[in-house]
Amino acid sequence: MAVFRIRHLTRYRYQEPVTVCHNLAHLIPRDTPRHTWTQIDLDITPDAPRSMRNDYFGNRMTVFGIDEPHRELQVVSRCMVDLAPPLMSSLFPTGPWESVGKMLSGRPQGELLAACEFRFRSPQINWNSDIYNWTMQSFTPSRPLADAVLDLSSRIYKEFKFVSGSTNISTRVDEVFQRRTGVCQDFAHLAIACFRSVGLAARYVSGYLVTAPPPGQQRLIGADASHAWVSVYVPEYGWMDIDPTNHVWPLERHITVAWGRDFSDVSPLRGVILGGGKHEVTVGVDVIPLDGDDDTNAPVVPLN
Amino acid sequence: MTTDQLSAVNSSASPNQRGLFTDYTPQATAPDDMLDANGQVRPHWRQIVQLLNDIGPAELEKRWATARQLIHENGVTYNVYGDPAGMDRPWVLDALPLVYSAEEWKNLCDGLVQRARVLDLALADLYGPQHLLKDSVIPPEIIYANPAFLRPLRGARPSGDRWLHMAAADVGRNGDGGFCILADRTQAPSGTGYALENRIVVSRAIPDIFRDCRVSRLATFFRSMRHLLQVVAPHNKENPRIVLLTPGPYNETYFEHAYLARYLGYTLVEGADLTVRDSRVYMKMLGGLQQVDVIFRRQDDNYCDPLELMPDSSLGIPGLVQAVHAGHVTVVNALGSGLMETPALEMFIPHICKYLLGEDLKLPAVRSYWCGDQDSIEFVLANFNKLLIKPAFYASGESPVSTESLSATQMEQLRAKVRANPSQYVAEEQIPLSTAPVMIDGHVEPRHIAFRAHMVAAGDSYTVMPGGLARFSISAESMIVSMQRGGGSKDTWVLSGGPVDSFSMLTPPGAPMGVSRAGGDLSSRVADNLYWLGRYVERAEAIVRLARGIVSRLVDQNFESSPELPTILGALVGQAKLSSPDLKSGGGEELLNHILFDSDLPYGMQITLSSIYRTASLVRDRMSIDTWRILNRLDADFSASNAQSGQLSELLASLDKLIVTFAAFGGLAMESMTRGLAWRFLDIGRRIERGVNIVQLCLSTLCSPQALPPTTMEAILEVADSAITYRRRYMTSLQTPLLADLLLADETNPRALAFQLVRLQEHVALLPGNHLEVQLTPVEQILLRRLTELRLADFGQLTVIQHTDGSGLRQLVNMVMADLFKLSDLISQKYLSHAAQSRQIGPSTISIPPKERL
Repeated sequence: MAVFRIRHLTRYRYQEPVTVCHNLAHLIPRDTPRHTWTQIDLDITPDAPRSMRNDYFGNRMTVFGIDEPHRELQVVSRCMVDLAPPLMSSLFPTGPWESVGKMLSGRPQGELLAACEFRFRSPQINWNSDIYNWTMQSFTPSRPLADAVLDLSSRIYKEFKFVSGSTNISTRVDEVFQRRTGVCQDFAHLAIACFRSVGLAARYVSGYLVTAPPPGQQRLIGADASHAWVSVYVPEYGWMDIDPTNHVWPLERHITVAWGRDFSDVSPLRGVILGGGKHEVTVGVDVIPLDGDDDTNAPVVPLN
Repeated sequence: MTTDQLSAVNSSASPNQRGLFTDYTPQATAPDDMLDANGQVRPHWRQIVQLLNDIGPAELEKRWATARQLIHENGVTYNVYGDPAGMDRPWVLDALPLVYSAEEWKNLCDGLVQRARVLDLALADLYGPQHLLKDSVIPPEIIYANPAFLRPLRGARPSGDRWLHMAAADVGRNGDGGFCILADRTQAPSGTGYALENRIVVSRAIPDIFRDCRVSRLATFFRSMRHLLQVVAPHNKENPRIVLLTPGPYNETYFEHAYLARYLGYTLVEGADLTVRDSRVYMKMLGGLQQVDVIFRRQDDNYCDPLELMPDSSLGIPGLVQAVHAGHVTVVNALGSGLMETPALEMFIPHICKYLLGEDLKLPAVRSYWCGDQDSIEFVLANFNKLLIKPAFYASGESPVSTESLSATQMEQLRAKVRANPSQYVAEEQIPLSTAPVMIDGHVEPRHIAFRAHMVAAGDSYTVMPGGLARFSISAESMIVSMQRGGGSKDTWVLSGGPVDSFSMLTPPGAPMGVSRAGGDLSSRVADNLYWLGRYVERAEAIVRLARGIVSRLVDQNFESSPELPTILGALVGQAKLSSPDLKSGGGEELLNHILFDSDLPYGMQITLSSIYRTASLVRDRMSIDTWRILNRLDADFSASNAQSGQLSELLASLDKLIVTFAAFGGLAMESMTRGLAWRFLDIGRRIERGVNIVQLCLSTLCSPQALPPTTMEAILEVADSAITYRRRYMTSLQTPLLADLLLADETNPRALAFQLVRLQEHVALLPGNHLEVQLTPVEQILLRRLTELRLADFGQLTVIQHTDGSGLRQLVNMVMADLFKLSDLISQKYLSHAAQSRQIGPSTISIPPKERL
């Protein structure tokens, strides 16, 4: 068991007062067999009446509106999580990838039907023949599914360059594919498009990453951010996570908050405002392990 | 057909008067509604044919000319997208109704009701437990890959668990004459209002025939509609607040929205009129927020909530989906019901019917093949040359293509597209729609027909509108029956075969009605548009007056010889908010043309005129026909092309005309608008803008450091429309202090600054919410302070001081200018700020650098 304390801050500052705003947040984490959440708290300034409901994918969603003029909106979510180690080793045997695609097509039932939800084009997932052909280099005939998935992840990792700020939330998958640069969200979207293009079911996972400090250095508080990775459906096993940005199996360091077809289903905070003029946004995430001997006393730098 | 066969039809026509239908020849390839295969008039048409021939073609033509006038005067329009001349296209209605017999109608109704029930239950299932997917009735792709499946609505429980409150279906006759469904309309079916208007026009044109044929009345359908909208309210079932939501005047069927709202007695609103607070929906009125219980929407699903549905919709109401989940509002039809319009679903409807109702489908639909299905794609590819190919999901934006119309290469290209992406396409069998007689230029000709049936939920079943709207193709050859693509409409008569229910929703003459007077509340959006309409009209008039002052002098003078010309041009430049060029160095005419005709200059004439037109069209339902006519004339008087001929005399004439047109607009506003909030906001806009313009004129002229020559002072008086008053008072003695007093402080001069402030004081005192405060509001303080200053001002002193240190008058008017802008802001914030456009914000890209490797 590893215990982490998480704080996720989003702050909008506006040039002109905002008279009314309506917001939708995916900041309260969902329950999963591996995550046990406690002390969940969502702090909104200015204070606002809020409604909670589960969204289509079972994520916890908070809807709130503010109808007094304000020049700043700050949303801070805090929680503690007990993260259990994964039940299975990552290198379990999987069948040939083509048979999975076949099981998902037609009129599947039960769990397969539920997985079908993640097989098709969605608002931010689209592909063309170039992406399909590129994908097929990893999906050679009869290759075991996990093998092919891992190979594709390593190719994204090697052939694409992580460039902060090189894209924005509306950058399309084919643009990322062409430019060969992006950030975690783009790589997750690209991997999903690749998997779906060959008939597999793949979903977008949004969450946090615990960053191990480089040897001999202090952990940088606030350097961590929201992260995104991918989950692929494997019959009989369930959902298998893969993080193409870091090319790792997300095991002990990835904390899941929500999942959906793509970013648009689970964006941490989005809204519609009246007024406001130009705005600037600050996002900061702290993920602090509570089990290590030095971490419990690590100073928390206030995010002013 | 021979004349012999028609002899029965025309029996009563005198020998020298040819019957209306003598030359009517249907096609051999399609069945006809009026004539059977042998060319004989079908029994249920005989009476109407006889009666029409009794009145004769000439009389019918005469009556129909009057009817067309009625359509024009009632302003019945149908807007066509993407056609610049398409806004307000007049509604095309044929004089001859389509006739259905009581027996065939009953069978059709059974099928329509069953279909509506199936679609309703299917929606409840797909947005709920999804048994249709779990039990493999529908392939998951049709739902999961469907942009019309709105995931945020899953789990919503609409009031009464009803998703489909109203439905429409396009019905045609197939080759053997039987009825057949062509398409379903499930999210915001249009046509009920047009059906009603058609009925009113046709039954007035041929009242005797209408009465004798014993036609079923439409009014009972609207009674059911009103009843339904009341009982679905989640709260306030006794007296729910019901609004009709329209996307606005640019929508193709806006006429119908306004018409239905008036007929049913609901408030017509746009998305910007509504707001969600704490999961409840409110209407934004000047007097405050009022909770809404039922939204009768005529806006597509996806546009209804930018927060949870399509993010870039500016028409929606952010938070509406949450309000629906919380159960505080009922949306009719339920959000998400557009799913049932999906072409790919059509081939599964018989299975869905069997699964959900345990019945066979009673009314067939056009045979349809979803190419994502293995058997279907094989059939489609084998029979590709005689099908209609459609996108499987509506959002793809492709239009249906009839393969018969394609060349060999085009056909191969389309076939390749379908084969590459089969699940994105649906193929439909093409049926020879039946024809019916339509009057074309005094003749009767066959046109293909589709009838739009309307259903409204009643208890656990549906009521069908008995008759109503039919549409016909643009030519005898065309099978496309669409108002968007030309063609026209017909009234449809269902013969009652018994006594007729004469219920009417219109108040019978003589029935007591409560007196209602101006003073009702007004929505912030409408007030905002009226306020800006007032400002734009006044702004345009100021430009025109200055321009006329210049042009009238340019006719016989030039800039070098006339000392006042640079001064007036300077005032015009100030009015148009241009940085001051050197006015003495010539180029005056170019500058004038720039201000009058440049379509990119923000404070220039062209943009001001188009702003007038735009704001006016947004509040068209508040405007009398005469006012609308005047605004149309503005456009005609001064479009850049007809006035920019280079002839100063012509330009002068059109500027003169414009001034008269503005005077007419002002006069109508004064004389024909009731003194309610609408008039008040229009006038507040005018007064503020006129105040600003007077101050601007003073800054450009009276505040000049040099003494003004008499000709310049005359020109200022002329531009400010105060020359006669001045002359009457002071004869020919032109003095700056007197001029300043007349233009700034004279509360009796409608062109003076003080006059505007007094009027604003009157308006502000009567705005909602103001009388509750003991202290003066900030707006009242500003007005009182500036007015008092003007009353105390010594213009002799002020105009002298300016010669020494440049302050005095300039300082006074500058402060007024700043305060007028502040005034505008305060009024906007308090009453109009809700009306501003909302926009989307989202997180910037969230990123994390790679740190861990495998």
